[in-house]
Amino acid sequence: MTGRPASPHTLASAEEPVVFVVDDDASMRDALSNLFRSVGLRVEVFGSAHEFLQSTLPNVASCLILDIRLPRLSGLDFQAELAKADIHIPIIFMTGHGDIPMTVRAMKAGAVDFLTKPFRDQDMLDAVTTAIERDRVSRDEARMLAGLHARFATLTPREREVMALVTTGLMNKQIAAQIGIAEITVKIHRGHIMRKMAAKSLPDLVRMAEMLGIGPASGGPQT
Amino acid sequence: MMRNQTVKSWRSAEQWLLGSMVLALAMAAFIWLVLGPAPAAPAYLTAVVLLIASLLASLFMMLRVGTTRRQMEAVLHGRARAEQHAIEALRHSEAQWKEVFEHNPVMYFMVDAAGTVLSVNTFGAAQLGYAVSELLGQSVLKVFPAEEQHAARSNVAICLENIGQTHSWEICKVRKDGSALWVRENAKAVRRVDNQLIVLIACEDVTERKQAENALRQSEMYLAEAQRLSHTGSFGWGAGSGEIFWSEETFRMFGFDKAPSIKFATVMQRVHPDDRARVQRTIDCASSDGKDFEHGYRLLMPDGAVKHVHATGHAVTDASGGVEFVGAVTDVTARKQAEVELHEAQTNLAHVTRVTALGEMAASIAHEVNQPLAAVVTNAAACLRWLDREPANLKEARSTVQSIVKDGNRAGEVIQRVRALANKTADQKAPLRVNEVVNEVISLVQHDLLSHRVALRLELAPALPPVLADRIQLQQVILNLVVNGIEAMQPVKDRPHELVIGTRQDESQVLVTVSDCGVGVAAENADRLFDAFFTTKSSGMGMGLSICRSIVDAHGGRLSASGNVGPGATFQFTLPLHQEGST
Repeated sequence: MTGRPASPHTLASAEEPVVFVVDDDASMRDALSNLFRSVGLRVEVFGSAHEFLQSTLPNVASCLILDIRLPRLSGLDFQAELAKADIHIPIIFMTGHGDIPMTVRAMKAGAVDFLTKPFRDQDMLDAVTTAIERDRVSRDEARMLAGLHARFATLTPREREVMALVTTGLMNKQIAAQIGIAEITVKIHRGHIMRKMAAKSLPDLVRMAEMLGIGPASGGPQT
Repeated sequence: MMRNQTVKSWRSAEQWLLGSMVLALAMAAFIWLVLGPAPAAPAYLTAVVLLIASLLASLFMMLRVGTTRRQMEAVLHGRARAEQHAIEALRHSEAQWKEVFEHNPVMYFMVDAAGTVLSVNTFGAAQLGYAVSELLGQSVLKVFPAEEQHAARSNVAICLENIGQTHSWEICKVRKDGSALWVRENAKAVRRVDNQLIVLIACEDVTERKQAENALRQSEMYLAEAQRLSHTGSFGWGAGSGEIFWSEETFRMFGFDKAPSIKFATVMQRVHPDDRARVQRTIDCASSDGKDFEHGYRLLMPDGAVKHVHATGHAVTDASGGVEFVGAVTDVTARKQAEVELHEAQTNLAHVTRVTALGEMAASIAHEVNQPLAAVVTNAAACLRWLDREPANLKEARSTVQSIVKDGNRAGEVIQRVRALANKTADQKAPLRVNEVVNEVISLVQHDLLSHRVALRLELAPALPPVLADRIQLQQVILNLVVNGIEAMQPVKDRPHELVIGTRQDESQVLVTVSDCGVGVAAENADRLFDAFFTTKSSGMGMGLSICRSIVDAHGGRLSASGNVGPGATFQFTLPLHQEGST
């Protein structure tokens, strides 16, 4: 019963978010799949954590709905394993009998929500919306950061050095004195930097430097 | 000496006679010479006659004297022989006495005022391992061990102060080989003819008795120690005389000072007031029947502490034919305490086990039922959303409703399985007698009844026909009702706690009732009494009556509750009679 129902929205394919459900109970899987389809969400269901890990995940905003009481590997342990494997997917836990320590542990480990079966459908849909939104934001950030890194990689070592000094607020003259080059050369480097990094203004460049974690002491991004 | 005197006197008498005869003859010759040869004839004749007469008289006298002397001599000789005999006898007697003195199996000592041995008999010396010669002239202290010498000296001194009076004492002597010899000495100081003060001492060997006494004392000490260690005292009680003798431990246990004997009333004073009547009954029975008895009771000590004791008495007939009891009384307070604690621990464990098992089962059932329930709820929500779409997606809605039906049935199956599980244990039904089951339950709750001060009254109908039931389950039901009854009476302080279990036949069924005089059932709770998880008890699970009802129902009977006319409540259930051949 791990069939992947055809998406009702065939037009939005790659960018369409997807909900993953991992529950050992087939009825529950089907019911959840049914619910998400009824609101037009793409859904994929798995009977175990193992099955989920075997599949290739599409690079779209997604979230994972996990029964805490799974055979063999418990939901909480699965959550820890995903974190270890550097898979950062927002998780919504479901449980038949949630207790407080379990909830606390799940939430501390970054769970979006913790729902006790049977739950209100709206609660589940709200949790999923939140989770997908959170994933979308983090994916955008990751994508942007990746772009930044790519652009930063095109800078020459001297340009990186100048960028670090510029973004700390030093004037061209001061920079020239500090690294022992002509002021005019600093100006040329600045122009190249602004163009290569696609920065619209100096504040824009400063924000980029912050995201890359560039300081005056370092010549490269601190990630 | 006497004899010589006598002989002398007799000799002089003979001399006197001879002398007088010679004088008479001289007188006659004189007269004849003076008067001439022919005096006047008559005077001459008279003189001759007189002479002859005196001669004759003298002769006669001499004969008499000779006879007398012979007789005297014979007497004297006999007396000398007798004296000889007497001396012989005396010598013989002395030897005999000497023999007696020497060999009489009693030790004799004769010592002077300084304590020097003047005489000792052979037996005595031998008893001490000495020869007589080794002791004579020695200080008598030689035969006393160092620690007894002072006593020996002062004993002799006492005798010397009271001449002629006999004193006696026991003292330990020491043999030549160093071993001890216990003796009882009788001694007396006397003054001899030569005015010397001596002390005569007769010593009787009491070593064996002394050893026996020591052994007895030791054995008594061991016994007392053993009694102290085992918290067991002994007693003797003459049923007729009412005399009671206690061992030291018994006195200690009852908290009385040791005394030679003790009065029954004093003992009863110590018995816990609640147990007094019972103890009195047991004692009365035992003394009137003369049979062994055994009972446990409590003691209320002056400091308010309560001790539990267990006493057993064995009846023996004494010399005068009266009954006497010899027995032991043991302090079982610690054991009782341990028993109570054990019981509490068992009760707690049983409760925890029940709750845990129930909890696990409930969690398992909850999960099993919750799973399809959650699916039903989710599907129902999805179905509404399919229907709310513009246009409504009836195909999806229909398939969703089908899922709901499927999951609903699944939840039902879970319930069926649980019920089947519960029914599986009800298959042990057999014909049995309800009264027997009631009695089995009573034996289980005996301790609870006692500890909660509940008096149990049984009103069991005799010769009840058997019912078809599972013994364990029936026990469980009755036990539950009895325990509920006991607990219901706990808050009640102003009236005695009485529980009544009754059985009787009611047409084609047997009716079992359990009545208490407890707090009763509040009207607002009456309807929910048999609901699962309904309880008015702070520590209750609320499962008891619910389980009882399902068991009774499974047996084709009915469990119900009603308030009593007086205080308390009555729970009753019916069981159909066992029909032969119906199984």
